[in-house]
Amino acid sequence: MLAHARTLATRSARLRHSRFYSAQVRDDSRWPGWDVVVGIEVHAQIKSRVKLFSGAEDAWTPDYHLPANTSVSTFDAAFPGTLPRLNPKCVELGVRTAIALNARVQQRSAFDRKHYFYADLPQGYQITQHYAPFATDGRLELEGGETCVRIKQIQLEQDTGKSTFDPRRKLSSIDLSRAGAGLMEIVSEPDMRSPEEAGHYIRALQAVLRSVGSSDGNMEQGSLRCDVNVSVNRRGEPAGTRCEIKNLNSVKFIMVAITSEVRRQIDLLESGGSVAQETRGFDEDKAETYSLRSKEDAPDYRYMPDPNLPPLLIDELYVSRIREKMPELPDATRARLLALGLSRRDADVLMDVDSGREVKFDGALAPGPVAYFDQISQGGRDPKVVVNWITHELLGQLAFRNESFSKNPISAEQMGGLIDLVQRGELTGTAGKTLLRHMLDKPSDRSASDLARELSLLAGADDAVVLEKWCAEVIAALPQEAEVVRRGNVNVLNKILGRVMKLSKGRADAKAARDTLLRMLTGK
Amino acid sequence: MSQLTPPEGHANSNVNALVHIASPAPRTSSGALSDYAIAVKDNICAAGMPTTCSSAMLAEFTSPFDATVVELLRDNGATLVGKTNCDEFGMGSLNTYSVHGPVVNPFQAANAGTPWEQRERRAAGGSSGGSAAAVAAGFCDAALATDTGGSIRLPASYCGVLGLKPSYGLVSRWGVISYADSLDCVGVMAKEVGTLETVFNTLSVYDPRDPTAARPDMRQKAAQACEEHRPNLTGGSLAGLRIGIPHELFPAELNLSTLGPLRRMLEHLKSRGASLLPVSLPSTPYALSAYYVISSAEASSNMARYDGIEYGLYKEPPPGSDKTKTANVYAHSRSAGFGKEVQKRILLGTYALSADAFDNYFLQAQRVRNLIRADFDRVFAVPNTLSSSPRPNADGVHVLLHPSAIRTAPPLPDRNGSADPGDSVLDAYVQDVLTIPASLAGLPALSVPAGLGEDGWPVGVSVVGQWGCDAMVLDVGKVCEQSAM
Repeated sequence: MLAHARTLATRSARLRHSRFYSAQVRDDSRWPGWDVVVGIEVHAQIKSRVKLFSGAEDAWTPDYHLPANTSVSTFDAAFPGTLPRLNPKCVELGVRTAIALNARVQQRSAFDRKHYFYADLPQGYQITQHYAPFATDGRLELEGGETCVRIKQIQLEQDTGKSTFDPRRKLSSIDLSRAGAGLMEIVSEPDMRSPEEAGHYIRALQAVLRSVGSSDGNMEQGSLRCDVNVSVNRRGEPAGTRCEIKNLNSVKFIMVAITSEVRRQIDLLESGGSVAQETRGFDEDKAETYSLRSKEDAPDYRYMPDPNLPPLLIDELYVSRIREKMPELPDATRARLLALGLSRRDADVLMDVDSGREVKFDGALAPGPVAYFDQISQGGRDPKVVVNWITHELLGQLAFRNESFSKNPISAEQMGGLIDLVQRGELTGTAGKTLLRHMLDKPSDRSASDLARELSLLAGADDAVVLEKWCAEVIAALPQEAEVVRRGNVNVLNKILGRVMKLSKGRADAKAARDTLLRMLTGK
Repeated sequence: MSQLTPPEGHANSNVNALVHIASPAPRTSSGALSDYAIAVKDNICAAGMPTTCSSAMLAEFTSPFDATVVELLRDNGATLVGKTNCDEFGMGSLNTYSVHGPVVNPFQAANAGTPWEQRERRAAGGSSGGSAAAVAAGFCDAALATDTGGSIRLPASYCGVLGLKPSYGLVSRWGVISYADSLDCVGVMAKEVGTLETVFNTLSVYDPRDPTAARPDMRQKAAQACEEHRPNLTGGSLAGLRIGIPHELFPAELNLSTLGPLRRMLEHLKSRGASLLPVSLPSTPYALSAYYVISSAEASSNMARYDGIEYGLYKEPPPGSDKTKTANVYAHSRSAGFGKEVQKRILLGTYALSADAFDNYFLQAQRVRNLIRADFDRVFAVPNTLSSSPRPNADGVHVLLHPSAIRTAPPLPDRNGSADPGDSVLDAYVQDVLTIPASLAGLPALSVPAGLGEDGWPVGVSVVGQWGCDAMVLDVGKVCEQSAM
C-alpha cells in the first residue's frame, strides 16, 4: 500500500499536452497555421455478468432495458457492514483489453477510493486505481497503421448509479442498478490531431473492445462514455492550455464538440485572450461547449488506498494463459481475410457486420459472419466464392428482411452444402438463390441437397430431355416470337429464353437453354 | 452455563449495557455454543434486531442481513441475548459517546451489597463498554465486540473481564460496520479463558465475503510457525516460556497504583519457570499519532456513506437553504446524525487525506505503521508469516506482557452530566498508547484481569503475541488467569 502510494504522490494524474506523437504535421484548411491536440479518457463498461465488487449473485451488471433499481445488492446501496469482493471475470476481461491494446499488465496494482458526495454514489467514494493502474503503456493503431495513439493507462473502477434530473419537477431520480458495475478507464496520450482522428480512435477502440468481448462499447446506451481533452497552439509553438469536455456520448458529438472547442480556443487566442484550464460540458442542441468549472474549483478527491482490497497481483502465467485464449483482433482478422484473397471491400463488409455481433456476458462472443465465413471455407471451399455467397446473397437477403446476422437460421453446414451444389453444377446459381430464400423462409435443420431435391431444384441427368420439353412448350406458347427468330432475328430469342427460365423455376441452365432454343428454331 | 443475571429490567437499566434485548428464542441443544448466551456489540449486524452503532444516524436502522460472526453464533446454537452499547461507530475510550447514554461499570467486588443508586459511577471503558459490562454484570456468558485501537482490551481491563482482540484477518468483518477497516477486529469478551477460547475458535474461520480475511493456507502457515517456536507448556511448568516486558509500554502517564497487581502476576509467572526479558519497541512514541491519522482517515471515508438517502437519519434542509450541491443537502443529516467525537474524527481524517496533507500525514503514518510492525517482528521468537522474509529470532520472546490501561476505570460525570468524563480528552487518547501498537501491527492481544488496584477497581494485563499465535496467547492467558485467582 505504502510503496505504490509513494510513487504516485509524485506522479501527475493529469494529462500533459506536451509532445507530439504523430510525426507529420498536416495543415488543416479549417484552421490554417494551428495545431490541434486531443487526448481522450474512455469509460467502457465491462460486460461481466456480476458487478466489479458486489459479490452477491443478484448484483448483475444491468441490462440496458432493465427497470430502474432492480439490480442492486446491499453493497451497491452502501449498506453498513458490506465489503467489496473483486470479481475475477472483470480482471480477466481487463487483461484481455490490455493485451489487445498492447499495454503492459502490471504484476502489482491496487485499488483506491476517490471521494466525493453525489446522489448516485451511495458509498461517498468510488473505488478506482488512481495510484497504481493495472495496465500501462499501450497503443492503438488507426486506419491500418497510419496513425498510432498511445494508451497511457487502463484502470479498473466502479461505475456510479445513474441520475436523471426532471427540471420541471426539480426532482432527481437515482437508478442504482448501474452502481458498482465494472468500468475500464482507458486514458490515451494526447496523440490525436483532429476531430476526425478522435472519431477514428473511438471507432477503433469500440471494435477492439467488442472483438475481445470485454465491453459492448455502446455509446448510445452509455456503456462507453468519453471525456475529451483539447488544446490548440500556433504551429511551432509549445502546446496550449487544455480544456476537458465531459461526458460525450456519440462519435458524432465528439467530433462536433472538438471542432467547436478548437474554434472557441482559436478565437480566444486570436483576439489576444488566453485559454483558461477548465472542465466544460457540451450542449448538443447548440453544438457548443460551455464552462462547468475552472481549475481552481477542481474538487479534492482525497484519494486513499482502499483498506479492504489487497493489491491486485497478476502473474505472467495468468496473462499468457489469457493471451493464448484471446479472440482474434480486428487487425489480424482483416490481414488474414485479405491473405485468403478476399477483396478489401468484401473483408470490410464481413468485419463491419462482425463488429455489430452481440457481446455476451463474461467474454463470450456471439458468432459473427467472420466465424461463419471461416467455418464454411474450411474444407477447401474457395474463399472468394464463399464470401460472395455470404456478403451478396445471405447478408443481402437478411438486410432485405430487416434481420440482423444473429437471426440467420442457416447453419454453416447447410450453407456449405448449398455452395457445393452450385459449384458442382448440380444446382444453377439461380436455383441456389431460390434455395437460400427457401432456407431463410422455412428454417430447418435439413441439408441443402435434401431440400434442393424436395423442391426439384436439382439439375438432373435427364437434363437435356427436360430442357427440350420446356423449350418446346414455350415455342408453342409464343408462336409469333418463334417465327421472328426463325426468320433470323435472334434478339427476340431472349424473350423466349426468359419464359423458359421462368417455367423451369430457375433450374434450367441459361446457356444450355439458349443453345437448345437456337437448335430447335434455326437448326444451328 | 454459569449462573446469569436476567438482563431484563432493573439491572440493565442501571448498567445500560444492553441497548436491545432479544426476545427469548427456543434453546438449541446441539452446536459448539449451545450452552452459551452471547451478546453482540451494536456495530455488528444481526437481522431482526436493531443495529444502531450507538448513533442517532442509525437509531432506526435494522440490517437486512446477519454478520458472518452472528451467523456463526446462530449456526452453532448460541443464544443471542441482545445488542450491547458502545461508543458511536466504535470511536471513543469510555463508552460515553453513545446515543443510548453512557455505560456504567458494573464491577461489584467492593460494593456488591450497595444499592445501584448509591454506587460509585465509573466508566466501563470504550468503545465496547456495553459488551464488557454485559459480561461483568452476568447478563451473558460472552459478548462479541470490536477493537480498532483498544476497544476490547480497555473496557475488559476497566470491568475486570477478559477481552481478546484476535490477529487481524482471522475473524470475518462481513456485516461488521466499519470504523477503520485496516484496524477493525472482531473479538470476544468473557469471564473465563475457556469460554473465550470456545467462542473464538468457532468464529475464527475463513470467510470469502471478507476481502481481508486470512486464507486457510496463511492460517495454517502461522499456526505451524507458532507450534515450531513455542515452548511446551504442559505439566504446569512455564520453563522455556520467554516473556518480553516492553519498557515503552510503561509510560510516564501510567498510574503507579496499578503496578501492584501486574508485579504480582509477573512474580507468579517467574516462579513457575517463565523467564522475563526487558525488550524495546522503539517506534512506540509515534504510534499514537500514526493511529489517529490512519483511523481518522479511514473513518472519514467510511462515514461518507451516511447521507440519509438509502437508509439512516434524513434531515430535511430548512426552507431557503442552498440545495445546489448534493453535499449541502447531506450536511443537514450528517450534522444532526453524528455526535461530536465522530464529527471531530471525520474532520481530522478529511484533512489528512486532502491533497496537500496526504504525504505528510497519511503516507507518513503508513511508514510509522511499518516501523511498528518491524519493532514487533524483531522481538518475537516466532517469525511473522505475513512478511515477505519471515525471520525467526532464536533469542526472541514468545509473548509480550504490559498493562492494558494507564489506570483503573475513571469516574463517569455526575448524574447531571456536567463534567467531561476523564481528566481531559487528551488523557483518553494517551490511554490508547498501550493498546494501539498491537492494533497497528494486527497482532493478537488479550487483556486478562490481574487483580485490583489500590482504589479497589480492576486492573488488566495484556498478553500480545505474533500474528496468528492467538492460541498461544490464550494459553498464556490461562496461566495469568490462574495467577490472578
